[in-house]
Amino acid sequence: MGKITGIQVEPTLLPEVRKYGNFNLNACYNCGTCTVTCPLTSNGATFSSRKSIHATQIGAKKHLLGSLDPWLCYYCGDCSTLCPRQTEPGEAMMTLRRYLTAQYDWTGLSAKFYKSVAWEIGALFAVAALVLILALVFHGPVITERVTLNTFAPVHLVHTFDLILLTVLSLFLISNASRMFWFTMVRDGNVKIPLYLFITEIKTLLFHAVTQLQLSKCNNKLRWIVHWFLTSGYVLTFIMVVFFLKWFQVDNVNHYYIYLPRLIGYYGTTVIVIGTVEILIKRLRKREQMYKFSELSDWIFPVLLLLTTLSGIAIHVFMLLELPLVTYYIYVIHLMIAVPMLVIEVPFSKWAHLAYRPLAIYFQMIKEKALQLQERKAVSLSSAGKLSPEVMKINVR
Amino acid sequence: MSDNKVGAVLIVGSGISGMQAALDLAESGIKVYLLDNKPSIGGKMVQLDKTFPTNDCAMCTIAPRLVDIGKHPNIKLITYAELEEVKGDVGNFDVKIKVLPRYVDIEKCVGCGVCEKVCPRRTDSEFEMGLGKKGMAHIPFPQAVPMVPVIDKREERPCKAACKDACPIRMNVPGYISLIKEGKFKEAYELIRRTNPLPAVCGRVCYAPCEDACNRGQLDEPLASRALKRFVTEQIDINSLEVPQISKNGEKAAIIGSGPAGLAAAHDLALLGYEVTIFEALPEPGGMLRYGIPEYRLSKDMLRKEIGYIEKLGVKIKANVKIGDGIKLEELRKDYQAIFIATGAHESLKLNFPGGDSPGVIHAIEFLRKVNMRERVDVGGKVAVIGGGNTAIDASRVAKRLGADVKIIYRRSRAEMPATAEEVKAAEEEGIEIMFLANPTGIITENGRVSKIECIRMELGESDGSGRLRPIPIKGSEFIIDVDTVITAIGQASNLEFIKEVGLEVSRRNTIAIDKATLATNIEGIFAGGDVVTGPAVVIDAIAAGKKAARSIDEYLKGKPFTSKEDMRVPQKLSEEKVNTLKERFPSRNRVKAKEQEPLVRTSGFEEVEKVYSVYEAQMEAGRCMASQIEGCIGCGECEERCEANAIDFNQQEKIIELKVGSIILSPGFELFDPSVKPDLGFGHYPNVVSSLQFERLLSPSGPTAGKIFRPSDQKEPERIAFIQCVGSRDYERDYCSAVCCMYATKEAIIAREHIGEGLQCDIFYMDIRAFGKGFEEYYQRAKTHGVNYIRCRIPSIKEISETKNLIIEYLGKDDKKFSREYDLVVLSAGLTPPKQAKELAGKFGLTLNRYGFCETETFNPVNSPKEGIFVAGAFTGPKDIPESVIQGSAAASKALSLLSTERGKLVKKKEYPPEKDIKDQEPRIGVFICHCGKNIGGVINVPEVVEYAKTLPNVVRAQDSLYVCSADFGENIKKMIKEHNLNRVVVASCTPRTHEPLFQSTIREAGLNPYLFEMANIRDQCTWVHMNQPGEALKKAKDLVRVAVAKSRLLEPLYPRFVEIVHKALVIGGGLAGMTASLELAEQGFDTYLLEKNDTLGGNLRRTKFLLNGENPQEKLKALIEKVRKHPKVHIYTDAQFLNIEGSVGNFKTQFKSKEDTHEIKHGIVIVATGAQEYKPTEYLYGQNPKVITQMELEEVLTNGGFDAKTIVMIQCVGSRNETRPYCSRICCSHAVKNALKIKEKNPDANVYILYRDMRTYGFNEAYYTKAREKDIRFIMYEDNKNPEVRQVKGQLKISLHDPILNAGININSDLLVLSSATVPGDGNKDLARKLKVPLTADGFFLEAHMKLRPVDFATDGIFLAGLCHYPKHLEEVIAQAQAAAARAGGILSKEYLTGEGIISCVNESLCRGCGLCKETCVFGAIELIERAPGILISNVKEGLCKGCGACTVICPTGAMRLRHYTDDQVLVMVESALKSVAAEI
Repeated sequence: MGKITGIQVEPTLLPEVRKYGNFNLNACYNCGTCTVTCPLTSNGATFSSRKSIHATQIGAKKHLLGSLDPWLCYYCGDCSTLCPRQTEPGEAMMTLRRYLTAQYDWTGLSAKFYKSVAWEIGALFAVAALVLILALVFHGPVITERVTLNTFAPVHLVHTFDLILLTVLSLFLISNASRMFWFTMVRDGNVKIPLYLFITEIKTLLFHAVTQLQLSKCNNKLRWIVHWFLTSGYVLTFIMVVFFLKWFQVDNVNHYYIYLPRLIGYYGTTVIVIGTVEILIKRLRKREQMYKFSELSDWIFPVLLLLTTLSGIAIHVFMLLELPLVTYYIYVIHLMIAVPMLVIEVPFSKWAHLAYRPLAIYFQMIKEKALQLQERKAVSLSSAGKLSPEVMKINVR
Repeated sequence: MSDNKVGAVLIVGSGISGMQAALDLAESGIKVYLLDNKPSIGGKMVQLDKTFPTNDCAMCTIAPRLVDIGKHPNIKLITYAELEEVKGDVGNFDVKIKVLPRYVDIEKCVGCGVCEKVCPRRTDSEFEMGLGKKGMAHIPFPQAVPMVPVIDKREERPCKAACKDACPIRMNVPGYISLIKEGKFKEAYELIRRTNPLPAVCGRVCYAPCEDACNRGQLDEPLASRALKRFVTEQIDINSLEVPQISKNGEKAAIIGSGPAGLAAAHDLALLGYEVTIFEALPEPGGMLRYGIPEYRLSKDMLRKEIGYIEKLGVKIKANVKIGDGIKLEELRKDYQAIFIATGAHESLKLNFPGGDSPGVIHAIEFLRKVNMRERVDVGGKVAVIGGGNTAIDASRVAKRLGADVKIIYRRSRAEMPATAEEVKAAEEEGIEIMFLANPTGIITENGRVSKIECIRMELGESDGSGRLRPIPIKGSEFIIDVDTVITAIGQASNLEFIKEVGLEVSRRNTIAIDKATLATNIEGIFAGGDVVTGPAVVIDAIAAGKKAARSIDEYLKGKPFTSKEDMRVPQKLSEEKVNTLKERFPSRNRVKAKEQEPLVRTSGFEEVEKVYSVYEAQMEAGRCMASQIEGCIGCGECEERCEANAIDFNQQEKIIELKVGSIILSPGFELFDPSVKPDLGFGHYPNVVSSLQFERLLSPSGPTAGKIFRPSDQKEPERIAFIQCVGSRDYERDYCSAVCCMYATKEAIIAREHIGEGLQCDIFYMDIRAFGKGFEEYYQRAKTHGVNYIRCRIPSIKEISETKNLIIEYLGKDDKKFSREYDLVVLSAGLTPPKQAKELAGKFGLTLNRYGFCETETFNPVNSPKEGIFVAGAFTGPKDIPESVIQGSAAASKALSLLSTERGKLVKKKEYPPEKDIKDQEPRIGVFICHCGKNIGGVINVPEVVEYAKTLPNVVRAQDSLYVCSADFGENIKKMIKEHNLNRVVVASCTPRTHEPLFQSTIREAGLNPYLFEMANIRDQCTWVHMNQPGEALKKAKDLVRVAVAKSRLLEPLYPRFVEIVHKALVIGGGLAGMTASLELAEQGFDTYLLEKNDTLGGNLRRTKFLLNGENPQEKLKALIEKVRKHPKVHIYTDAQFLNIEGSVGNFKTQFKSKEDTHEIKHGIVIVATGAQEYKPTEYLYGQNPKVITQMELEEVLTNGGFDAKTIVMIQCVGSRNETRPYCSRICCSHAVKNALKIKEKNPDANVYILYRDMRTYGFNEAYYTKAREKDIRFIMYEDNKNPEVRQVKGQLKISLHDPILNAGININSDLLVLSSATVPGDGNKDLARKLKVPLTADGFFLEAHMKLRPVDFATDGIFLAGLCHYPKHLEEVIAQAQAAAARAGGILSKEYLTGEGIISCVNESLCRGCGLCKETCVFGAIELIERAPGILISNVKEGLCKGCGACTVICPTGAMRLRHYTDDQVLVMVESALKSVAAEI
């Protein structure tokens, strides 16, 4: 047997990962039940929770960072129900997603937020305070005879702020995503990927980003529907706020009932409230496997999202009730919730799965396609007698 | 401890461990009570097909042991019983045992199994794991001990089965009704036919006394049993029935009359092999059935079919032959050995007043006969029928159908009418007027024909003695009716003219006089029954008479005593109280009425009036039967009826037995995990998912499919089988390994492929293959190379394809890719769980159960319970395989023996025999005793004929038969015969020598004959059982067998087994844990023991074990043990000892050894080899080259000596094991690594421990420590076979690389310390010692025991035993148990005064022996030696104590010098010669 070159184990990996989710990952004896049970692992596919868990156990950090598997799991919990060791493989994958989010983040902030309650809460309050200060400094005249929100918070100013925030957060997110790309596609690369695949597979990215179809393969179809509506409401509202604020934040709310931005707003807020409340109730009840474990990060995102939406609705209601002062205060509070949520969650925490999941599917698809190409090529080469079978084997790997 | 110790032991549970303990104790002179809650002893092993790793048949291995136990004089079996209460203290326990009723008398039962065959009910058999069926009376399995069935009576039958008691032929009414309820119509029909040869007739015209008696009638309405019977006869076409093959016995019987009595007798006699001829005076057979009963009640077509079937049985019917007219009765007597007269009562009584015989007056019988013969009968418009019986009603209804207006004239009132009420009702419905209390007084004729009838009114007076009121004419009440025809039905009589010539006795009532019990007449060979005996009666009475006649004729012709059975029992009523309670359970449901033709329709023709039930109606009605509604046995009594030995006893009750015992051993075994607890696996839902034990039954040639592997859904042979491991083991609820499943699945896969062929795909889904026992790893590797496919993946769920019932399994293949495969059959390797009684036993005896419910024991006392005098053994103490259980059984026996050593032999009765007679020079005087074995032999062949034949054989002075030769009273008879006739040889022809030879040998010994003067002819198992359907040939063969046995018996010689004095001392070689334990046990049992140790100190390998997995420190225990051994006055220790030489044999060994500087010579009776083993010194992985590479034992030293600061430690498993040089698994290294890794973590929680393994073999409860190691963050990385890790040294740093198959990637670990789990290898001295002791070694160099499964501590050579690591690597508690076991086995020999050798052994004719030594080489028991008779002249000598009488030496001997006693050439040749002579030639 030849010399084995391989991954250097890092024994610190296991205790490190454990900081992102507190349960006994090492009790797992790699029996494979989780992967066999997983409805997302289709015949012949390589998605394996066992691999990720085993890599974590033995400290194969390089393997773990290079793996897309944690992102391909949607945590239906079937694996955890059947696990003969009660090792909670579903929660293990969840923990690994937290860990990977922190690993992708080059600033190190994400790790701080995940591992420390003080950091997370502190940062949220800090950003909220910053928003308050900005509001105190930049708000317009306070008119109390009627509700003129756009006078109090001039739309162009808010919109500009939106765009700046968007740019900054996007930069963070994109840089993190590129690190994900580096770990999973480049550094791990034992497959040579033709560039054109990245273009042709964009359709996969878009398709999965929009449909979240993978989630529908879990046994609980209702969860996919609820989550899809939640996401759609969120994305639509987000787009309205970031790109169409001028039409969204209007003072004369009473005039147009059949008004598209307004209807989008109603739709968005309704599904977000229903979606987040459902999640929170389930997390409180802990009846379903996937909601049995809840880390702080699992609470904060839905709670903040719900509060943002509720405060947004409150603004609307008070405008309709023509209560100027309350409207203005609530507006500031709304921003004090929404902005920290976005700042902390988008690049550094749970929000990021909105980006990483479709990306993971996209990358995975590219990898698989590339592998197929390579295999086909190897077969044609070997049949042409140009490569010995051993060489072929190495190439395939 | 109590002062009065009792030399008896109670063993609870009779599986292999319990049986072993029983045998060991009994052999040592302790009385044993072997208790089991099952009906047979044997535990679970009896259900297995084969055993691993030798693929021996499990039943073949265990059955002789069952027999040994069954007949051991010191063992008393208490089966089907439960432990009720235990009081008292060690040495003297008072035990109460509840014996459950089997409803079968163990003493009477002969185990023939007839009861099960005839039982109408079937239920799932537990023994076949629900894959086969059993009757409610059931012998658990064919080799059961005791071979006695149990009746599965789960509840009391609610009614008294009065129906059956009311029936003259004791028809099994509850039986067939219950079968109808279950929809088993064919079985119901067969059950009815078994008793009644004319079911279709009785289903229509029987007056059904069963219905009158039916107990349900007391609740609401009686069951319509007749209608149900008719329903069944309509479901089955009699012509489709298979006609049984009957071989004729050559005897002839004549039957006169073909009515029901004649037909029934003919039927039964034909089945018994008689040639039967029926003589019938009328043109067609059937008697009154044909000519008396009108067509609308009994279709003549049906009758013809039933008679046709009887003819198919070989009965000849000669119609139109009237005996007395043509052939005389006297002539018949010449041609037929027996005659049955059943001519019936066809003569009508005449009216005794004027005009009684005028034209127009016709007798009912004649009238009915004419109509039935389709003769024209003109009755005119008005008909009067005189009489009130069924015949009167029949005649009137027929007349009605001929178009007349019919009146019945009856002299009493309705209540007195003898006709059945429903007939009367039907007649009235059809418009027939009944004139009650009227009597004809005269007939008035016109034109010579009847025109009027004169009647008088009657009134009822006092009782007339027949129970009815006497009718008295009322004066002056005369009246006249106009009639065209008068039909008289006032009585019938028989024509007895033809019997007068032979002088048959006639009764006062003008019927034939008979003996009521046998139906025999005053003339030998002539029997009579039916109406000709009783006067006119009903069909069923006639059938009863016919059946009784058949039995009597058979007994008469076979010369058997008449077995007059009581005909009828009085049907019993339920008490009112009972009725009320039953009403609650059985809510009122009226009988389902069979539909009838409308009266108008029916009087217009002769169609059958009553319609048949529909299937739905029949099952509804049958469902009303209270007996059919209960679970289990319904008490129909079919078995009781058919049991020849009268062994069925439904009145048995629970019985409490009280015993006194000195000690108790608990070995209740285990329960198989119930896989339905895991619903995802589909067990119980998907028919083709079976449990491992079910699969064992499918594999077993004696199983429900006779060894054909069929999948349950469609009985097809599977092409793909999956085995799923760890079902009910190794999960969070049961965090233990069941230790046996990997191997049994491997075995099942191998055997399945042997059955079906190489094409069968067998995939075993596993996590770690735990092939840790002796020969297991090699077995596993062989399975792999032979095509059993192993896939490492735990399977959580199975899906079924509903159309094909195939099963889909998803699993992970290479690189964790998911695949799915389709299988025809899935076998779930179910784990072992604690026995059901575990909790109860724990409560009674204060045992501690572990968290899974198994009995907890201490490492150093593996079979002790917390309570003194109570021991535990077998799977009760944790999952284990057969040899481990056997070892624990012996170990527990050893503990009990030490406790009761002073009481040995006190409770065991020694039999005193009279002095033996000297038969030298006597002419053979042979007694032959032939057994009927109930019907087993006597039902097939004519035993008296064999007796007569035996009498003709030379030297036979006495021949006798008996229903049961083995019965105690016949045993006395044999002894009496020996005395009276001065017999000097005895031959018994009966069942089988396997079970009964010792009994008969003992019997003749009691009469002063040497037991070897007995010979047995096996005429049951090897004759009547196998040739059941060819009685003629069987008879011939039985004669042959008897002749052969007699021929041999002439040459029998008395044999005298040698008694060998025993030296009551033991030699133990090896002073490690095993040797010391064994020595101490033997010393405690009271035997002086020499203990030899080659080193200067005792303790062996245990000295290096510093801590145990459970945290215990063994060194303290070791110190205490050494102290105890040193101080024991009976243990004599020799250190620095060197074993030099041994000679002698069991009981008398002589050994020379050197200790320090002195040479010693000792005498001893037994040897225990306990020489241990050692840790392998590795040559791989830089061991010896780098100080950071050490072995586990060395690590253990390091860990006990102070601190431990290595940061990263890597352990490599299987170093030196499971490779080409040493293909075996060293068994203990996985647990050892886990133990040391946990210790490292305890010392230094920050240390990183990596264990590189192939399969983690932490079997049994050690699995929990593996879990613990995982929880403590010890990292486990698997490496595959042939991909061993690589170790390099780079700048003083150890770098370990391996391929991780889960990640499918290379892994590098930098290590501070590398620990090698190196193999356990046999000691260097084994070869030399084996040669000196003449015992074998395995290919690996360990000592080889006599039998891998059942004799794990014995050598094939008697008197030499083994224990500890010299046998195979094993854990501490296993070593201790094995040492104790060896002591128990040795104790069995040492506790005897002398050894009784075999009588049947080889001997040497020295004049023929030329000393070639072939016999010595051949003998596997080491029983032959070559001795120098004269200088240079060698001859063979048989060591009598060792010879087992196998005869191998006699076969190999080229000169014929070797002779096996009792099977000498002369004796065998004379048998062959005799066998070749034909019976005819001999006569």
